[in-house]
This record gives sequence, structure tokens and C-alpha cells, in this order.
Amino acid sequence: MSSVALHRVPAERLSRKPRNAGQYATLYLFLAPFAVMTILFGLWPIADSIRIAFTDSSTALSDAPVYVGLENFRSVLADTTFQSSLWRTLLYTVLAVSINVSAAIGLAVLLAHPALRRGRTLFKLAIFLPVITPDVASFIVWKWMFNQNFGIVNHTLLSLGLPPFPGVTRPVSAFATLLIVEAWQHVGLYTLIFLTNLQLLDRTLDESAQIDGANGWQRLIYVTIPQLRPAITINTVYALIEFLKTFTVIFVITKGGPNFSTNFISYYAYTKFTGAQYGEATAIATILFVIVFGLAASAYAYLERSANR
Amino acid sequence: MSDAEFTAAPTSRPVTVILYAVAILIAAIFIYPFFWMVVSSFRTQEAILSAPMRLLPEHFDTTAFKSLATIGGTALSTFAWNSVLITVLATTIGVGVMGLGAYALYRNPRLPLFTSLRYGFLLTIMYPNMLLVIPLYFVSYKLGLLGSTLGIVLVMSLVPLVFFIFVQFFRTIPHEMIEAARIDGAGEWQILRLIILPIARPVILTAVLIAFLMNWKQWFPIMVLSTSPNTYTLPVALAALNSEYGVDFQATMALATITVVPVVVLFLATQRRVMGSFMAGAVKG
Repeated sequence: MSSVALHRVPAERLSRKPRNAGQYATLYLFLAPFAVMTILFGLWPIADSIRIAFTDSSTALSDAPVYVGLENFRSVLADTTFQSSLWRTLLYTVLAVSINVSAAIGLAVLLAHPALRRGRTLFKLAIFLPVITPDVASFIVWKWMFNQNFGIVNHTLLSLGLPPFPGVTRPVSAFATLLIVEAWQHVGLYTLIFLTNLQLLDRTLDESAQIDGANGWQRLIYVTIPQLRPAITINTVYALIEFLKTFTVIFVITKGGPNFSTNFISYYAYTKFTGAQYGEATAIATILFVIVFGLAASAYAYLERSANR
Repeated sequence: MSDAEFTAAPTSRPVTVILYAVAILIAAIFIYPFFWMVVSSFRTQEAILSAPMRLLPEHFDTTAFKSLATIGGTALSTFAWNSVLITVLATTIGVGVMGLGAYALYRNPRLPLFTSLRYGFLLTIMYPNMLLVIPLYFVSYKLGLLGSTLGIVLVMSLVPLVFFIFVQFFRTIPHEMIEAARIDGAGEWQILRLIILPIARPVILTAVLIAFLMNWKQWFPIMVLSTSPNTYTLPVALAALNSEYGVDFQATMALATITVVPVVVLFLATQRRVMGSFMAGAVKG
């Protein structure tokens, strides 16, 4: 018996080795294009961007860039326009995340209601349609809908006897305009995720709560929403990352104005870039990257921990 | 059927009516901008000024569409062709590259460099994509790809959502199935062609759809990496019309309509598959 085993092991090892090598080579071949593209158009630009953040802007693109240490970071952090744009971005992110996540819960609970059996797909389609729509187009349409002269928004408000909405002409309302437009654009995605989660819920909990005499609101707040926690966490993390990077809506609708009231970090970095201040632009990009990375990493750690519990 | 719903007592009639009213009002708010965009593209600026809320155009005024034949000296057909070409190429390359990449990562995640590449890819997603375009501009310049269609296509090809759709799919394939084929003497290429490709057909279709929808939307990298409007796509031309070529409201709405309608039609025709995969991808991401 032992002689058989002894005999078999080396034979197997012999036949395995070249086959594994060939197999691994093929797998590396399959991965190669993905690896090359991730490096060329992902990791290299990021590394390059961080490198440029340490150079003097006027020499950044030359063959002999002058490295200035943390000078760009120092000047950016001391720049009051940057400071206010950072706080503005964080405020916007907190508001946008809360609005989108809570509106999405509301919409999902409404759409999952048994009374709405007929037409549910149509309602879902309507809410999700903006998600796949090219955002440049929809933001331009909204820009004109908020127009003071022939925008439909003010026309509706006036015909209802309400005061007109100043839209992008005033700082606070411009900020609010972006929140409204972006909620319209993105809430469908979050709603869809909540709807899926709702369909997986344990119905017996709801039934026993009803037998115990809980009314609709009580069941929603004490039974349904606690069960939505995984989807709430996912949506919050996802929305956090997305809204921190807000850019297109500013580029299309407000260009950072009026009076810098919608000048968010991404847009501020972009204006630095177009102004050939490459060192400052990439320093701002690096700071935003660190913020997004820190938030995403801690959210990921939190998710892992609650999943292992 | 009823066990999938709340089995509670049937909702009273007035409540049902209120729920439908609310749902219809909300759906109307989401749909209205599309409707307004299309109607406005067929109405003159004066007509809109005098009656902004009119639901249907007085008559179909097509001057805007005619005036769009060229935008800032470039033919509309160039932008439309670029949109189709760039979207199709980026979708084809991206789905192929990410499909194979995700497959290799699933087959043997423990091989040297495989895990670091996975983390490297996750890292690129967290970098603010709008700001990644700035270094991408420098990299394209160094690679001699600045202003070329190929450069734009390659930069756009990797779409995180599509990668996650593949990752999610491969997770459902038992490793034993592939082991069995290998014991029967199948080589890697045979396994890919005879086992993986047939079962992956639906997920490839989904990936193509999602990649197409996402690539059609792209505008900022294309704008920054273009050295002339000759490589602009429809959304980029629209962004340029919005800020550079003056303010012709009716023409802007007409171009927005041309940009939006193809993907809306595609989405409505494939909505079940698209909505399902957005969920799967977002849950992973």
C-alpha cells in the first residue's frame, strides 16, 4: 500500500507542474489587457497627479519639473476660497445624501405598497429614467426650467399664487437648485436598491406587528425601516462618494456662481487646471481623494464589522 | 401572489385613490422634463415666452433641427457619428477586457499581483473621476493619444459598474465545474470557449447594454482629451452649445432631444435587464 502511494505522488507532481505553469500563463494573458488599462489609465495618472501636486505649476509639464515639497498643499489649505469650497462641498454632500436616501426610502415604500399593484412598473420606470439619461442634457433642461423668463418652475409657482423661486440668480437658491436637480437625477437608483431590499423582507414580522395592533406608521418605523439597514448603509456610502465628487451639475448650470456659492472642490480644482495652476489643481484633487478614500475605507471597515457580527 | 405582498387587510378605497394620486403626481414630475424638452424643441422662443405651460406645440416648428445641421462649424452628423463610434468601440473593448479580467481574477485570485490589481482598480474608482481627467490629459499627451478617437475610447473603456456585474456573475459559477473540465483534460482556452462563454452569454448582453448606456453619457473626458470639435460626441456638443456658442434655447432643446432619445428608447426596450443589473452592481460597489 505504501509503495503505491509513494509511487503515485511523484508522478502526479510531475504531470501537474507543467500544466499549472501553462494554465497560469493563460490566466495572466487573460488578465493582461485589464491590467495594462488599469495601470495606464488609472494608477499611473493618479500617481502622476500626486507627483504634480509637489511641483511648481510653471514647471509641472516641463522636462525638468521643480519640486517644491508641500508648498502647493500649504497654499491651497491657506486659500480661503478653498476652505469655503471644502465646507460647502461637505455641507452639500450631507444634505444631498440625507435628501436622496430619505426620499428613496419614501418612494420605495410607496411603490412597494400592495394597493399600487397596477402600474407599479410604470412608476418605477418614470423614477429610474433620469438615471440612464445623459446628465448634460437633463441638467441643461433643468437649467431652462428654472429660467426666470420662460422657466416652467416660476410660471407654475406664480399661477398657484406663490412667490417666484430665484433659481440660480441668488446664492442660497442656486445651492438649493443643485440639490433638487441632482435628487431628480439620482434618487431612482437609490429607490431601486431599497425596493429590492423591501421585496426580501420577512413578512411575518410585519404580520405579527399588525396582529399586536401596530398601525401603518408604527410598522413602517419600528418594523420595516430597521430591516432596511443594509440597504441604507450601502446607499449612504455610495451616495457619499458620488456627491463628494459633484461636478457636472455645476459645470452645466451655475459655473460655481453666483458669488462662489456653488464653487465645490471638484469645480474649483478644474478652474485651477484651466488656469494652468497644475500644482494647486492636483493638490486639491489629492486632498479630495484622501477624503473620499478615508470615508470609503472606514465605511467598508464598518460594513465588514457589522457583517461579521 | 398574495403571499409576496403584505397579507394585511385590503387597503380601503379612499386610501388606494390617494396612493395612486401621489404616485402619478411623482411620476409626472420625473417625466415632465423629458416632455418639456421635446415640446420646446418644436416651439419658437417667442411662443414659449408667451405660453410657457402649453402642453403641445402650436405647430411643429422644425427650424431648430435645421439650424443644428452645423454647430460652430462642425456638422451635426459628425457628432452623431462620433457618439455611435466612440460608444460602440468603448463598449466592445471594455466588455471584452473587463470580462476576461474579472474571469482571470475569479479563476485564481491567489496568483501573484492578482489581488494588488483588484485593489488598484478599486483605488481608481475612488479617485474623483472628474479630477482624474486632468492627469489623464498628461498621460494621453505622453502616449501620443491626445486628440485621437482611440485615446478617448481607451480612457473611457473601463466602467466600474460593468466590472462589478462580471465579478458578481463569476461568483455564481462553482469552481468544481471548471476543475471537472480540467481533469477531463480541457485546456484554458477550451474551458473559456466551451464552458464559460455559453453560460456567460446573458451577462455579456447585460454588460454590453450597461456599458453602452454609460458610455453614451460620457462627456467630460471627451471634451478635455479632444483637441478640436472633430472628436466631440453629442453630449459634448451639447455642453459646448450650452456655454460657448451663444444661447439659442430652441436649438439647445433640439440637440438635447437628439442626445437623449436614443438611450431612452434603448432603456425602455431593455428596462428589466438594465434595472436588475444596476441593482446588482450598486450592491457590490
